Amino acid sequence: MSAGGQTTTSLEIPAVRRVAIHDAAHMPHEYSTTPGGTLFSTTPGGTRIIYDRKFLLQCRTSPLARTPPQNLPDIPGVTRPLNSDSSHDTKNPVEAPTTNNHDTDVHTEEGEDAQFEMDI
Amino acid sequence: MNNKFDALKDDDSGDHDQDQSSPKDSEKIKIEDDEKEQNTTKKKMAVPGAGEHPLQYNYTFWYSRRTPGRPASTQSYEQNIKQIGSFASVEQFWRFYSHMIRPGDLTGHSDFHLFKEGIKPMWEDDANKMGGKWIIRLRKGLASRCWENLILAMLGEQFMVGEEICGAVVSVRFQEDIISIWNKTASDQATTARIRDTLRRVLNLPPNTIMEYKTHTDSIKYSLGRLPWAGEC
Repeated sequence: MSAGGQTTTSLEIPAVRRVAIHDAAHMPHEYSTTPGGTLFSTTPGGTRIIYDRKFLLQCRTSPLARTPPQNLPDIPGVTRPLNSDSSHDTKNPVEAPTTNNHDTDVHTEEGEDAQFEMDI
Repeated sequence: MNNKFDALKDDDSGDHDQDQSSPKDSEKIKIEDDEKEQNTTKKKMAVPGAGEHPLQYNYTFWYSRRTPGRPASTQSYEQNIKQIGSFASVEQFWRFYSHMIRPGDLTGHSDFHLFKEGIKPMWEDDANKMGGKWIIRLRKGLASRCWENLILAMLGEQFMVGEEICGAVVSVRFQEDIISIWNKTASDQATTARIRDTLRRVLNLPPNTIMEYKTHTDSIKYSLGRLPWAGEC
């Protein structure tokens, strides 16, 4: 159901798949399908962009999908973990605390470079 | 348990906007204009970048939070909700999503909203005022996975209901979480049935999970009966 249907691993994910047909006999039998088997919904004016879950997840690994957006607002606990000054988490931060604990007491929790120095 | 009652008394997703917004028309318009200035004059509409996979629609992420204990009516919903950003392609979506905390790790009374660009995540928006939502209450621990599956299905146009989808919301509450999907026409039963069927297919919900459809106008009527002062007589 997705637009990126090719399985060869050495190609980049194609943005558009075009199928040329020159013969009416090659048209698919079902009204709402297109040649090549991708199902589009029957909206007036034609096609709709449909991606399945698997395809969307694959796109996540592309370099285009990794950089933080330029205009991401800084909301502690939402766009960055509550207790870090700077966060480079691109994975889901499973270790992010769910309560507002004081990080200076548990500074080893995150396991990354220590971002706090305790004032002893 | 009394705790469960408290959780139910707390509004499910979207209701607090109806509690709080008790607008006079002139006030409401002013707030919307201000918000529009803050949120849209500096931004151009998102467009897919080169080599990226375009989405059928552009979408905007929003975040809202309410300080628990404050009476809902004294806060303006518009003041509590903030745009995170808009995107037009699959890759742009991941750039935002990968840099946002997952719903299961949010604190307090918080919501993420993902709505089509141009539709505000509140019932007063033209796209929503005749609409409704499917809501699904989840025990703790499921929200992150279900939210992700829900928005991937929405972005990937899996619901097959034309223009009807407005957006999706995940609401973190005291002892449960709620996901919901909003559509434009509450009375369109073919649409709401198809949305429900798609939800079952894409969300992998625990057995016996209840899905409930609420029109936004019903939510307002119901929530008016639960405003703090009404309950204290």
